[in-house]
Amino acid sequence: MARFIAIRTLTYLILAFVATSFAYLLAASLMNPEAVLYPPIATNPVPAETAQQYLNVRNVNPDTPLFERYATWLGGLIRGDMGLTTGTDRQLLEVTDVILSRVPISLQLVVIGTVIGTVAGVALGMWAAVNRNGIGDRLSTLLAFVVLSLPTPVIILTVQQTNEFIGNRSGFKLPAINRVNPLLTEGTWAYTEYQLLALIMPTIVLALAGAASYSRYMKVTTLDVLGSDYLRTARAKGLTRSQAMRRHGLRMALIPMGQYFAFAVGAAFTGSLFVELMFNWEGVGRYAISSIALADVNGTAGVVLYTAALTLLSATFADILQAALDPRIR
Amino acid sequence: MTNPSDMRSTDDAAQLAHETDPSENPLMGNPDYAPGAEDATAPPGGPAIESMGRGELLRRRFLRSRSGWVGMVVFTILVLMAIFAPMFYQYEPFDRDLRNVLSGPTQYHWFGVDDRGYDIFARTMEGLRISLMIGIGTAVLTSILALLVGTTAGFVSGKGKWGAFVDGGLVNVINLFLVIPSMLLLMLFSPILQQATWLWLIPLLALFAWMLTARVLRAMTQQLVRTEYVEAAKFMGVNPVVSIVRHIIPNIASWIIIDTTLGVSAAILGETGLSFIGFGIQYPNVSLGTVLQEYNIAYPHTWVLPAAVLAALIISINLMGEALRDALDPTSGSSRI
Repeated sequence: MARFIAIRTLTYLILAFVATSFAYLLAASLMNPEAVLYPPIATNPVPAETAQQYLNVRNVNPDTPLFERYATWLGGLIRGDMGLTTGTDRQLLEVTDVILSRVPISLQLVVIGTVIGTVAGVALGMWAAVNRNGIGDRLSTLLAFVVLSLPTPVIILTVQQTNEFIGNRSGFKLPAINRVNPLLTEGTWAYTEYQLLALIMPTIVLALAGAASYSRYMKVTTLDVLGSDYLRTARAKGLTRSQAMRRHGLRMALIPMGQYFAFAVGAAFTGSLFVELMFNWEGVGRYAISSIALADVNGTAGVVLYTAALTLLSATFADILQAALDPRIR
Repeated sequence: MTNPSDMRSTDDAAQLAHETDPSENPLMGNPDYAPGAEDATAPPGGPAIESMGRGELLRRRFLRSRSGWVGMVVFTILVLMAIFAPMFYQYEPFDRDLRNVLSGPTQYHWFGVDDRGYDIFARTMEGLRISLMIGIGTAVLTSILALLVGTTAGFVSGKGKWGAFVDGGLVNVINLFLVIPSMLLLMLFSPILQQATWLWLIPLLALFAWMLTARVLRAMTQQLVRTEYVEAAKFMGVNPVVSIVRHIIPNIASWIIIDTTLGVSAAILGETGLSFIGFGIQYPNVSLGTVLQEYNIAYPHTWVLPAAVLAALIISINLMGEALRDALDPTSGSSRI
């Protein structure tokens, strides 16, 4: 089992490295970070020496060959330094610091959303498969179909509009934007309460999208398991339907689900991109949008590295889960 | 888009390949199969039963499903609206009516006006045009790409050391594209889009959407290569390309048709998402994503109706795709003739 996980992890590491390098080269060749030196409202041009210094210290000078810039960036990456952010700020902000300060905010969203979505989806899918063609099955299948057919922005808007509607009627509204309330002092109960309330709607959105796809897939795998011989044997030995399903069926139905876990986390990141934008959370997703919009090469490469690491971790986790569930792999 | 909600795995593909195998299921593979063939001992002189072609079979099964009908009717209405509505509607997408800013739906502004004075109906219909074109174009291109990579990888995988090497390389390319969220890479390309025509979005979206389909097609091809007729063709010296076109593609065609249909909705979802953040369709053009960008929670009409049009479009395409899948899948309930 250790060998199995080691080989998988090594493959993922190489893939993550190649993907990040690819993204860096793409960003460095497509973006024009020097454009920030020539704002349309400027009356005097920036002195040539200052401009050169600005570009060189950020390793984005278009006069330096692309692969030299890549080699410099790679050298920094090995030392844990991902370069400085580009953009209109004059400070020398480290990409590593910026991303690390935003990771907890994003991760909180993605992890809570994925966990709730997975658990709800697995439970719903299994229940729908066991009570096949019942009213609950039809309803949950229809709901999953509709949720999967809606773009994430529309789901977010629906949730926000519902909150607005209920809030206007009852007077109690969940906070629709911002993660924290800057008017409250940190450490008080009101501050924490606001934080918890602000977490509800983004989590609902991500969990809904996750649960919809998981319940569909879980229904298919459970239906496969339901017709199997070992489940019939378990029933014949005297277990009730639900006992047999819990002890034997669930485990076998979950094995193929592990494969989809890795994709689900990547999808949750894309979902969190919209969530962070529309709920105004200062997470990695919003940083991705702003750094690409500002032609920040180092920042973009950093974000891609973060997503690759996220996919890598979730894929490894899925492999471990699969090995734990499936005795044939061990 | 790499669509995680797409739950068709290689196992499903294997199952489908098994079910569409002509030797297993005479109904699917044999165009000359006649439903009355078992009744060959029927008294002579009775009415001759005409054989039913595969297309005819498919058409009948598809038309029997109610959801297929609903999807088809809604989709047709939307396509007709996208074509004709911008021709006779009195406002253009960028006409400003600053007197009626944020007013609700009226007989002059059918979907109301947004906070910049743009007419929402005109923008929605213009956006529907572009979103539809991008959706269909991307789906077709994605299927072609996936077909090329998938069948090549599947066909060469069993052909010695070099075949396994090429196959392994292609599989790793597929995995590589799956590691990064395609949304981020598509956003990287937006500087190109700003300089060129919006049509470039079609190949770009296709470039990051073919992977899962290619994986499934590879698995199906691997199974088909081992069948006797493909082996026989090989020993008769038939060119591999001819062999793929003549023996393998007809067997996976049903899967490709389903996937292209569902790919249209996936591409529209990707395009609207990208345009919503501001990296897709840009100023002189409008897409459904850019229309939604102007949402205002205090004025629900600014987003509810365009979102309803978008939802109707995607749901109708998905309904057709599922009905098509049921029609092509002999184990589903609709397979009685």
